[in-house]
Amino acid sequence: MTELLLQTIVNATYAASYLALVAVGLVLIFGVMGIINFAHGEFYMLGAYCVVALYADLELPFLLSVAAGLVFVGLVGIATERTLFRPMRDNPLGGLVVSIGLLLILQSLATLGFGVRMEHIPPPSQAVLTLREGVGIPVQRLNVIFAAVLLLGALWLFLHRTRWGFALRASAQDPEAAALQGISMGQASRIAVGIGAALAGVAGALTAPLVRTFPYMGHSVIIAAFIVIIVGGVGSLEGAVLAAVVYAFVHTFVTTFVDGVIADIVGLLLMLAVLIVRPTGLFGSRDRG
Amino acid sequence: MLLEVRAASVSYKMVRALHRITMEVPAGGIVTIIGANGAGKTTALRAISGLVPLAEGEIVFEGERISGLAPERIAALGIGHVPEGRRVFPDLTVEENLSTGAFLRRDASAVRSDFEAVYSRFPRLAERRRQYARTLSGGEQQMLAIGRALMLRPRMLLLDEPSMGLAPVIVEEIARIIRDISGTGVPVLLVEQNAEMALELADYAYVLETGSVALSGVADELHGDDHVRRAYLGA
Repeated sequence: MTELLLQTIVNATYAASYLALVAVGLVLIFGVMGIINFAHGEFYMLGAYCVVALYADLELPFLLSVAAGLVFVGLVGIATERTLFRPMRDNPLGGLVVSIGLLLILQSLATLGFGVRMEHIPPPSQAVLTLREGVGIPVQRLNVIFAAVLLLGALWLFLHRTRWGFALRASAQDPEAAALQGISMGQASRIAVGIGAALAGVAGALTAPLVRTFPYMGHSVIIAAFIVIIVGGVGSLEGAVLAAVVYAFVHTFVTTFVDGVIADIVGLLLMLAVLIVRPTGLFGSRDRG
Repeated sequence: MLLEVRAASVSYKMVRALHRITMEVPAGGIVTIIGANGAGKTTALRAISGLVPLAEGEIVFEGERISGLAPERIAALGIGHVPEGRRVFPDLTVEENLSTGAFLRRDASAVRSDFEAVYSRFPRLAERRRQYARTLSGGEQQMLAIGRALMLRPRMLLLDEPSMGLAPVIVEEIARIIRDISGTGVPVLLVEQNAEMALELADYAYVLETGSVALSGVADELHGDDHVRRAYLGA
């Protein structure tokens, strides 16, 4: 029993890691642009397909493929901001429409390029680190946890220690006052969407060998990410990370000890409960703008 | 003239907020815009900073046309704007708020000395430098908003209703600060509902009524003007 409990904690930590990467990007984009990116799951999917194309098909090193996924999806994010999101800034309905359109386009492109069947990706490492008798973690999953801690730490340092980090936070809190300080909203938006997309892309790339990789894989992760940002408080990065941990633990534990479908229901109930008890989310203190 | 507003009009939807106003700010001293609520005072400052577009006319700063430029470009020319309602960044600390004011500055060592200058001008901000701006009192937030604008090393400062919602003692302190800033050679364009305070501080004044300049003149003279006394000074 203790083994199962510990093993579930390990599994939940892994789930929290990639979920946090996806959710934080969603929060960043919403904070600066006022747009909820429904295509965020597809950014995740694109990252996974970078690994399919470069690592599985071209047999390039896995780490290089993951880095390429981060850069490529980041660039897709920058292009998306310039062409689709910028005209819709602070227009939630317009942002909804263009991001759903983008979602369909990206899914279709992935289907055109790779087909709808699930991709087989040979695992880069089969090694399992044994923590104690009966409790182990595949090195591949451990890498996801390390990468998430590293990237989220780097993001925190960027936001709290650098000039553009301050600018991004200021823009999210009061875009007009930020513009009066000489901060370009266009530039702030570009950085926010670029980073947000890159984080989703790297999450997809890292988990590609561990999950089912197919053009519609974004669905499951975007629903979880939406629950996470609502529970954490829309607009709060710290809240998103904490809520990712809470959600992943609840979901993984219920899946392990009860059932996967029940776990999805419990996840939604968790969101409902938070909305009833604390409508601004655990960390949300204010509405945006 | 440092700043010239030439026959500028601003419309919101179909409503005309400013109608062909013309005003000038010289390279030193304090100019004030007084008027009732909704007369267009805030709109005038927002137009100068590029936050609202002009429907006609133009705004010229140091001989260069600035109407039509984005707000961040106008800030880069050295126009500091302390907006109505202070608009400090609530979830940034005092120090971080001041840092955003220095966003455009590249001279790190001068920025450091400006931090110290702001802290010595506003000792209460120095005590609270690690606190979030939302935890400050109204007066402290006003000081932070002014300090943030000073971090730009502005060539001109726009102040929108700095006395709003503050206790009389604090209003006096803010008035002293404005005089101080002007004394260091930064020209100030002050928008105020508190006409008494504004006319006392300013060298020159414009009176806005329903979007038009109704009256302008040397502040001391307007202070004695019958219409101004009745309409704005409660005499």
